[in-house]
Amino acid sequence: MAESLWRAIAVYRIAALIYVAILVIRNVGDYAHPALAWPVLALTAGWTAITTYAYAEPARRRPPLLAADLLITMAVMASSAFIVGAHALKNGSPTLAVAWHVAPVIAWAVAGGRRGGITAALAMGITDLVTRNHYDQAAYTGTVLMLLAALAVGYLVGVAEQAQQRLERAIQLEAATRERERLARDIHDSVLQVLALVKRRGSGLDGEAGELARLAGEQEAALRTLMTGRSAEPVDDAETDLMTLLDPYASESVSVAAPAAAVRLPATTAREIAAAVAAALDNVNRHCAPGTKVWVLVEDEPAAVTISVRDDGCGIAPDRLAEAETQGRLGVAQSIRGRIADLNGTVRITSTPGDGTEVEMSVPR
Amino acid sequence: MVVDDHPMWRDGVARDLTAAGYDVVATTGEGQQAVRIAGAARPDVVVLDLQLPDVSGVEVITGLLGALPDVRVLMLSASGEQQSVLDAVKAGASGYLLKSAGQAEFLDAVGRTAAGDTVFTPGLAGLVLGEYRRLAVEPAGGDEDAAPKLTERETEVLRLVAKGLSYRQIAERLVLSHRTVQNHVQNTLGKLQLHNRVELTRYAIEKGLD
Repeated sequence: MAESLWRAIAVYRIAALIYVAILVIRNVGDYAHPALAWPVLALTAGWTAITTYAYAEPARRRPPLLAADLLITMAVMASSAFIVGAHALKNGSPTLAVAWHVAPVIAWAVAGGRRGGITAALAMGITDLVTRNHYDQAAYTGTVLMLLAALAVGYLVGVAEQAQQRLERAIQLEAATRERERLARDIHDSVLQVLALVKRRGSGLDGEAGELARLAGEQEAALRTLMTGRSAEPVDDAETDLMTLLDPYASESVSVAAPAAAVRLPATTAREIAAAVAAALDNVNRHCAPGTKVWVLVEDEPAAVTISVRDDGCGIAPDRLAEAETQGRLGVAQSIRGRIADLNGTVRITSTPGDGTEVEMSVPR
Repeated sequence: MVVDDHPMWRDGVARDLTAAGYDVVATTGEGQQAVRIAGAARPDVVVLDLQLPDVSGVEVITGLLGALPDVRVLMLSASGEQQSVLDAVKAGASGYLLKSAGQAEFLDAVGRTAAGDTVFTPGLAGLVLGEYRRLAVEPAGGDEDAAPKLTERETEVLRLVAKGLSYRQIAERLVLSHRTVQNHVQNTLGKLQLHNRVELTRYAIEKGLD
């Protein structure tokens, strides 16, 4: 974007130079000191060539060159007061830098944004007015137009820069995602398969071999969860995918079932639900025999999100649950009911001794 | 027939199946080759790794069903990538199992697949439930009647599967026969697969590809 603007300035400067040359040739008869017009025109042409060359290289677009550009252009314009003469200027003859003098202003706007553009436009505009020493509407219009052009170009450059940065960030992110996918594929093709195989072949064996198979199985489940974990922030800041919080709980003994699509919820709601699920899982860990299986089911309905946590453990006697609650003990009572009630949701706990427990939480959308 | 790009797995699975009395008619590590040889090998059941290096699981399943309309496909996957599992089921796979499943569980699943049953993991049941809800909320093609719907009973059964209950436990809880539970599960999948075929046809006609 900036590159093409610099090229456009060079093209503009050359076109303006041709215009200036034509005007000088046509009007030279009216000038106060016509002989001096040619060296100034030569200087204008020379400076056009120099800047075209100099601005082509990004490393050279620095304050010294920009300042020289502005000052030389101002000098060419100011020389018109003497060479063209007050009389001819008053009769409508243009200055020796007409149109050409906008080029450094745009260059300043591209290099220095809106602020640079306005500064250069004001300096050049004042020079123009002073040189002409003739304050009519046309004189002001030229300066105002130049100011507006500088402002617009400066703004455009700012926008372009932001867009460029965003694009670069997006490219970086995409590269990171691709790399992650590549890694996931590699792991899938090698480590995961071997771990699953070890678990499978050793699961029937006794003693150490069986233990190794069990460990391999645990690692396999952990690695699988890590790999298939949904990308962290697919939705905007205010909303999160509940599953990014719940998927990590999946393991050898915990199955997490959910829709394929993201379950969008306000971030705080999702966090509270995840904490309630964690409390329910923790409860299973504490009260049930090791190796108790747990199934988490997430259902995303238009009106509500329902999460159930079921285990095939020992179950809780109905009176024990009530007892724990009246005794003010934490755990199921406070952590789950409290959190879900805060979200205007409902909790249903069903349990039969010997046949596991099911905690069903329903939170309205 | 066993299709898996991991040689150790392929051989292990084939060995287990042979030991259990199954006749392994072919093994391959490539999806395209699987589709090519399926017609000649004529397997009853294909044990298919969902992630093959050459083509997607959906393509293999479509190809296999094209060559052998009655073949039953049991998918295995090491990673349980949600969307690809769902897509494969919609394409016509009749069962799904994680590779981490135990040997007994695997052989049981193959047996059930061969018998014409559907093999659901709780995770798959959750995916299917979610898919029906998604279709209900955003009917494809703007036609509300086109979206497949579950009966109340089917939803109930599917939810219990997703909560990890076995068919036997579900049958007990809902006071149904084991066979009825099995039929309900099969219907949920059948409707989704039918809908998928209708959608594909509609898409093909719209795009003028018929």
